[in-house]
Amino acid sequence: MGRRPVNNFTGLDSKILAPFGLAGAGALGTMVAGWSAWGWYTVLWSALLLAAAAWCARASGAALGGSGEADMIDNYLAGRERFGDAVLPIWCRHIENSRTQMEEAVADLAGRFSSIVDKLDSAVHVSSMDGKGGSSMPEVFAHSEKQLGSVVRSMKSAMSSKQAMLAQIKDLERFTRELRDMAEGVASIAAQTNLLALNAAIEAARAGPAGRGFAVVAQEVRNLSSRSAETGRNISNRVGLISSAILAASQAAEQSSEAEDKSMQSAEGMIESVLGQFRSITDALVQSSDLLKQESIGIQGEVGEALVQLQFQDRVSQVMAHVRENMELLPALLRDNRDRYVADQVLEPLDPELLLHELKKTYAMAEEHAVHGGSKHSAPAAAEADEITFF
Amino acid sequence: MAKTIMVVDDSASLRQVVGIALKGAGYEVIEGRDGVDALAKCTGQKIHLVVCDVNMPNMDGITFVKQFKQLPLYKFTPVIMLTTESQESKKEEGKAAGAKAWVVKPFKPEVLLGAVAKLVLP
Repeated sequence: MGRRPVNNFTGLDSKILAPFGLAGAGALGTMVAGWSAWGWYTVLWSALLLAAAAWCARASGAALGGSGEADMIDNYLAGRERFGDAVLPIWCRHIENSRTQMEEAVADLAGRFSSIVDKLDSAVHVSSMDGKGGSSMPEVFAHSEKQLGSVVRSMKSAMSSKQAMLAQIKDLERFTRELRDMAEGVASIAAQTNLLALNAAIEAARAGPAGRGFAVVAQEVRNLSSRSAETGRNISNRVGLISSAILAASQAAEQSSEAEDKSMQSAEGMIESVLGQFRSITDALVQSSDLLKQESIGIQGEVGEALVQLQFQDRVSQVMAHVRENMELLPALLRDNRDRYVADQVLEPLDPELLLHELKKTYAMAEEHAVHGGSKHSAPAAAEADEITFF
Repeated sequence: MAKTIMVVDDSASLRQVVGIALKGAGYEVIEGRDGVDALAKCTGQKIHLVVCDVNMPNMDGITFVKQFKQLPLYKFTPVIMLTTESQESKKEEGKAAGAKAWVVKPFKPEVLLGAVAKLVLP
């Protein structure tokens, strides 16, 4: 067979302890050498090797009572192969299941981030009313202030026109006073004419028959002066009526103007008050909107950082997939090892380099090579702009 | 009208992450799970740029870019490779296939958007 017996330092059969020692030493060696470099999957490898050692030790012990060393070794190798066939697929399924769950959870998480960003964006647009076709609050306020200012100016212009009309009515009062003076003048002239005609009639009577014709003229003059006096009184009365009407109209217009002026001042005050309140609300809304925008920028920055962190799931997923694919090679390796024994009757130690070489071929990331080479694990920083390669 | 960018990656979370960054900048996004799925979605619509992973099942990114560039409609559509691969030999493969830029994951959204803005078709 050409196999050297293994030293038995504890009194146990070396056939039991040889494979256990071999695999156990391999496991411990792997753990010690690989822990700092490979992290958690070093533990998996070590556990695998230890379990294989325990399995084969038990199988070897059982075989001792059987048909000799060849059967025992064959049983050991078959048991080791069965171990690989039984355990590895389950471990790999667990890894793949975890990887898939993590992938789905992170995808869902990223989707929720996307939804948050969209909703935040909508809230900012609505709060500032700067969406398509909309006006911002300051714009609405400025427009309203401009329109109300225009209304106030129109009202002031109307008031100014009324004041001009009132002045003209007051001018009419002056005219009516002049007319009354003129009517009084007519009455005075009529009275004097009447007195003159009376004197003429007296002088005509004194002249006797020669003055008879002149007496007729004097009577006619008296008649005319009476009619003039009557007309003067009539004019004076009419002018008095007109003057009273104008005075009444003027007083009414003045009262109306004063009332309108008060209303105007009141309306202007109310408009100022409403605009002031509106301005306060608008300023508060603008401040709130600005705050929301600032918070939004901050949150978007945080989301940007989260997006970088979420990408590490992809890297971890790839590493897990590479390790899983490598673990899946172990049963074939064990089978090949047994086939070699069956063919050549030579027990060959399992060579970790076979698997490690295959594992290395699957590496896509620089950190995998670094970790494999013994570097301490460190997550790479997100690529900066100057790290982009343009072709 | 928003420009359309195709994101090809076998990782759903990465497609989401890239999609969030691109949609936030106003682009429309169509997704491909791998090279085969992405080629099946190149049905004649205007694609202004492609962001593509390298290591994917069914059809890897380099093969996809080669076949994508064979399609007359997309001959001049720029492609950015977005991958965990950083080896120069891989980058040379991407360049030979017709890619215009190579960005290594993880990426900052603003960095990817800068590259997209530089290369996207008008």
